[in-house]
Amino acid sequence: MTVTDRRPNRSASRNLWKWAAIAPPLLFIALVAGTAMGETSIPMDVVLKVLSNKIFGAAYPVDRIDSGIIWSYRLARAVVAACCGAGLALSGVVLQALLRNSLADPYLLGISAGASTGAVAVAVMGLGGGLISMSMGAFAGAILAFAFVAMLASLAGGGTGLRAAGVIVLAGIAGSQLFNALTAFLIAKSANAEQARGIMFWLMGNLSGVRWADTVTVVPAALFGLLVCILNIRALDAFTFGSDSAASLGIAVKRVQFGLIGVAALMTAAMVSITGSIGFVGLVIPHAMRLVVGTRHRALIPASALAGAIFLIMADIIARIVIPGQVLPIGVVTALVGAPVFALILIGRRAAV
Amino acid sequence: MILRCENLGWRVRRKEIVSNASLSMNEGEMLGLIGPNGSGKSTLLRMLAGVRYPSTGRVYLGGTPMAELRQRDIAQKLALVEQHADTEERITVREAVELGRTPFLSVLQPWSHEDEAIVLHAIAAVDLHGFENRNWHTLSGGERQRVQIARALAQQPQVLLLDEPTNHLDIKHQLAILQLVKELPITKVVALHDLNQAMICDRICVMHSGRIETLGAPCEILTEERLMKTFGVCGHFMTDPFDGSPVIRFHRAHKED
Repeated sequence: MTVTDRRPNRSASRNLWKWAAIAPPLLFIALVAGTAMGETSIPMDVVLKVLSNKIFGAAYPVDRIDSGIIWSYRLARAVVAACCGAGLALSGVVLQALLRNSLADPYLLGISAGASTGAVAVAVMGLGGGLISMSMGAFAGAILAFAFVAMLASLAGGGTGLRAAGVIVLAGIAGSQLFNALTAFLIAKSANAEQARGIMFWLMGNLSGVRWADTVTVVPAALFGLLVCILNIRALDAFTFGSDSAASLGIAVKRVQFGLIGVAALMTAAMVSITGSIGFVGLVIPHAMRLVVGTRHRALIPASALAGAIFLIMADIIARIVIPGQVLPIGVVTALVGAPVFALILIGRRAAV
Repeated sequence: MILRCENLGWRVRRKEIVSNASLSMNEGEMLGLIGPNGSGKSTLLRMLAGVRYPSTGRVYLGGTPMAELRQRDIAQKLALVEQHADTEERITVREAVELGRTPFLSVLQPWSHEDEAIVLHAIAAVDLHGFENRNWHTLSGGERQRVQIARALAQQPQVLLLDEPTNHLDIKHQLAILQLVKELPITKVVALHDLNQAMICDRICVMHSGRIETLGAPCEILTEERLMKTFGVCGHFMTDPFDGSPVIRFHRAHKED
C-alpha cells in the first residue's frame, strides 16, 4: 500500500463541497427535532404540516396555537440557537488558533462580561431612557469591553510573538474582572430582588423570549463569521508553529490577527447580545472536533460550525424539557455538559499524545 | 536570488540588539553566521527573513526593498527555519511539511499533484520517509528539526535562512543536513555554533554584541586571535589527516595577563 492510497482530502475547496453536502441535512434534522420536541407534545405530522404551511405555502388545516408554538416559538428559538452555537464555536476555533492557547474561548476577551454590564446598565439603571433594548445595551457593552481589552493588550505591547498571545489573555482576564465587578456593583446598588433574578437568568444564557426578529442579528453574524473563517483557512493553518512561522509562510500576520480576532469579537458580541453568555460552547466544541476531524482548518471550521449549531439546538431541547413546567437557562445545560467533557479532553489529551 | 542588507538595526527599549549590519550575499553561496550567545545572530536572521521589521536600515531581496514586497511574495522566494518551532496541535509530519506550500496556494485553490510531489520530495530529502503519518508530538527534537527543514524545502525557496539547524541533531544527521544545505543550488544563510561545522561555509560572518565584526572565507577569518577576541577561547588549528582540511581544537582561556 502506498501512502497516497489513504491520503486524506487535502484540498480545501473539495473539503468544503463535502461539508456543504453533509451540513444542510444534519442541520435540518436538528432544527426539526428542536421544533418537534418540547413541553407541549405536538405530533410529528402536525410539526411537518406547520413547517410546510409556512415554508412552502401549503394549506394543511392545523390548530392555530400549535402553529404559533411551532413556528414563532420553537423554530425561531432553534434557528437562533443554531446560529449562536455555530458563531461561538467558530470564535473559539479562531481564538485558539491565533492566540495559540488551547484554553482560549470567545469570552476570554471580556466580551461576555462587557455584555452583562451593558445589559444590566439598561435593565437596572434605565440607561438610554427606554430607547435602547437590553440587547443593544449588551452589544454596546461587549464592544466597549473588547475595545478596552484590545487597548490594554496593545499598551502592554508584545509585538507578534508568543508573548503577545499571552498578553491578550491576561488583558482579557483583567477586562473581564473589571466589567464583572461593574455588573455586580450595578446590581448591588440598584436592583430589586425581581430584577436581580431576571438578570441572573440572562447572565447564564437564555433563549426564552427569542423571536424571529432576533434572527436579523444572529443569522447574518453567523454567516459572515463562517465566510471570513473559510476565506482564512490556510492562514489559520499557517499559525500552527506560531506567528513568526506564519509570517515566514507569507501570512500578513498583524492584518490576519486583528481582522480575525475582530470578527470573532463582533460575532460573539452579536450572539451574546441576544442570548446572554452561553458558556463552554466556544471552548469544548473546537476541542471535540479536533479529536474527530483533526486539527487542519479545512475540516475543523465547517465541522465546528455544524457541531456548535447542533449542540446548542440539543442543549436548548434539554433545557426546555428536563424539568417539567420550567425552562432552565441554556447556559446551565451547556456548562453541565461542557465542564465534564472539557475535563475528559484535558485528561485524554495526555493519553492520546 | 541575491539578499542584501544595509545598516540594519534592531532596538528594544533603547537597547541595541543589532546595529549597523550590512551584508551582501552572493548568488548560491552558503554564508555562515557565527558568534557567541546573544550576539544578535537570530535577530539578524529574522530581519533578513522579513519576519522582524528593522528599526533602521533596509533589506533587499533580489534588488527590491523588502518593505515594498508583500509577505506572500517574500515567502515564495525565501524560507526560514526557526530554532525552537513547536506546536500544541496534533499534526502529522506530512501536515507540517504541507504548510510550506501555503505561499503558493490561494484561498480555495485545490491541492495539486505537483504540491503533493514537492511535499513528498522534501520529506525524503531530510530522511523522514516513512514518518509521513507520525504525530509531531511523538518525534524527537532532531526529527522535529528535520520536519521544519522539510517544510522550508517545500517552499522551494531561492534563499534559505536557517537558525542553528544542527541543534538537537545526532551527529549523522548534523552532517547530512549540512551537506544537504550546502548542495542546494540557492543562497543560504546559516547561523551555527559549531565552528568546525562552520568551516563548510563559503564565507563566514562573525557577530559580536550585535555588530558584524568581520566577514570572509572561513580559514582567513577563524584565526587564534579572532577566537580569543570574539569567543574568549584558545583555539589551535590542526590539519585533518584524512582530507587536509583545518580542524580547530578548543581550550578554555587562562586568566593570566
